Amino acid sequence: MTNTIASDHPLTRQEQALLQKLCRLIVPADAAYQVPGADDPSIFADILQSVRTNLEPIKLGIDIASGLDVPIEQATPMLEGRAELAPLVSIVMQCYYRDDRVMEALGMEARAPFPKGYEVPQGDWSMLEAVQARGKIWRDA
Amino acid sequence: MNAAKKNSTQDIDFSPVDVLIIGAGASGGTVAWNLADTKMRIVCLEQGGWTNPAQYPSSGRDWETRAQSDFSINPNRRAQPADYPVNDDDCPIKVANFNGVGGGTVLYAGHYPRFHPSDFKVNTLDGVADDWPIDYSTLEPFYNENDRMTGVSGLAGDPAYPAKQSVMPPLPMGLSGQTIAKGFNKLGWHWWPSDSAIATQPYAGRDKCINLGACLHGCAQGAKASTDITYWPEAIRAGVELRTWCRVKEITVGEDGMASGVVYFDADGVEQFQAAHVVIMACNGVGTPRILLNSTSEQFPDGLANNSSGLVGKNLMLHPYSSVQGIFEEELDGYRGPVDSIWSQEFYETNAKRDFVRGYTYEFTRGRGPVATALTGVHSGRIPWGAGHHAAYRRLYNRIAGMVAICEDLPEEHNTVTLDPQLTDAHGIPAPKMTYRISDNSQKMLDFSIERASEVLTVAGAKDLLIESPIAGGGWHLMGTARMGTDPKTSVVNEWGRSHDVRNLFIVDGSIFVTSAGVNPTRTIQALALYISDQIKKRLTNLFD
Repeated sequence: MTNTIASDHPLTRQEQALLQKLCRLIVPADAAYQVPGADDPSIFADILQSVRTNLEPIKLGIDIASGLDVPIEQATPMLEGRAELAPLVSIVMQCYYRDDRVMEALGMEARAPFPKGYEVPQGDWSMLEAVQARGKIWRDA
Repeated sequence: MNAAKKNSTQDIDFSPVDVLIIGAGASGGTVAWNLADTKMRIVCLEQGGWTNPAQYPSSGRDWETRAQSDFSINPNRRAQPADYPVNDDDCPIKVANFNGVGGGTVLYAGHYPRFHPSDFKVNTLDGVADDWPIDYSTLEPFYNENDRMTGVSGLAGDPAYPAKQSVMPPLPMGLSGQTIAKGFNKLGWHWWPSDSAIATQPYAGRDKCINLGACLHGCAQGAKASTDITYWPEAIRAGVELRTWCRVKEITVGEDGMASGVVYFDADGVEQFQAAHVVIMACNGVGTPRILLNSTSEQFPDGLANNSSGLVGKNLMLHPYSSVQGIFEEELDGYRGPVDSIWSQEFYETNAKRDFVRGYTYEFTRGRGPVATALTGVHSGRIPWGAGHHAAYRRLYNRIAGMVAICEDLPEEHNTVTLDPQLTDAHGIPAPKMTYRISDNSQKMLDFSIERASEVLTVAGAKDLLIESPIAGGGWHLMGTARMGTDPKTSVVNEWGRSHDVRNLFIVDGSIFVTSAGVNPTRTIQALALYISDQIKKRLTNLFD
């Protein structure tokens, strides 16, 4: 599936493999939306790098998943929504939704906000006429 | 972050200074600039450094991740060298701040309302808390001066306020603001373009806002008016010395009971002493009482400036926030554009028909980034794991907008900042501990704000609502812990910011607030800093009488 598993990572190879399966379980690829899954090699490499700074809660999530009696592919009902997995899910989302392909599939430019910025329409300021018509609402003191 | 070059102590002149300011944030920068024209020797000690705007999160693809790590609003999570820990375990609203030049203005939204005339007369009008010893007219010229220095965008004519100027046009309403405004118009409720400390035109060397959408984590464009790019460059040009990476341990006192200077740790961690004729506290509602309580002596065994009232660290006010976000079917602004757009003060003033006194401001929130959208959806159960993820995500993406309610918090002595008996910072200085309960009045106000926000968002077309109350991480506004007043028994500083007990000690930050109003406090903090420093200048010949 991938050559992303790293030997110099604080997670064991077995833990990394399970984490990758978890990523696929959470966000699978979807051809209809033209998006990769979170287990995609590039995205998973980002996830592996990111978990280094917050390892303990990630390991806890992996431990919970590895302790189940069912194959990981069938574990969603036992894992989804569990608070112990929230840090892991957060990192998956952070890495997934900054991937070029994912951003472009959403119609975003794959770039940082600065320096180009974005366009925002002014809106219809004539809508304020109704507010002005009410007159003063502040209290004298 | 916050890793600009540290000062060398070799070139520092430790001879006594005329004025020593502690803290280079919203109020410290303001008071430094205003006093600079006196030609006094003025030094400011700041525990953090300068931030480099090029390093703000919005310059990188990982901006939403960094907003939760090295640019988090929570100092305990951020845990950078400039930060000190805050024990907020006994506080349902967690502290938010920033330590460095610019202080909290580096990470604020720039939502920039003034107080109202009624906010200074709470007791007279509503029979609760206390009146301020000053009123709106006292601060009005200083609001105006601060507006010019800051560069405030907005639109004159807001019927929720007395007439006030607008320095430049308002931020765009955008799709989000317009959608919600339609709901307010259908109900006949007030709304108006927010006053914002964000430039919509090139202003005083700053470029205009380009809608980066990451205001809460530093403005790489420099459009948002943090004091590191507004007051400080001018103060330094006028001769003020700013020493960064200097953390104050305590203020010392002489035999005469006057402040004699401060002991601080310099950038190398070496303890130094700086003598001063006047000391000005500008560390806001947690940092200021922390230093005062750490400054004990024979004359002040319970902390500096705390003999007459015993109120240093008491009456902590936080502004409990509710958040109600609508999920709409049509695409809105999403990640594009500043947080600020419009506000509503329909429920600002006391109404006898409600079961609470005082009121709140709705601060509209434009949208959220792609990662925040995913986290919102997954953690609220609206976006499932597996095959349904992508379709569910797209039902939220760029479709969330709503508002937060900034609820006026009334002062209560049991809400406190004290010194933690165990926790210390990297220099061994005792850390602050916050103890706080949401009052019945504030809780009723929060509940009411959720009901009304749900009503208007539904009328505006929202198909689903996301509600959080109180916002657990929303302790942005730290006020009241060294309150202002005319009676030394019931206040820490007098009506022009001087300590009742220590005649050369001044406080200019949010800790002197008597009441909190229902608005973001920074504009009033800075107007107060200008007012107090103006009083100092006018009274120089008899300042200590």
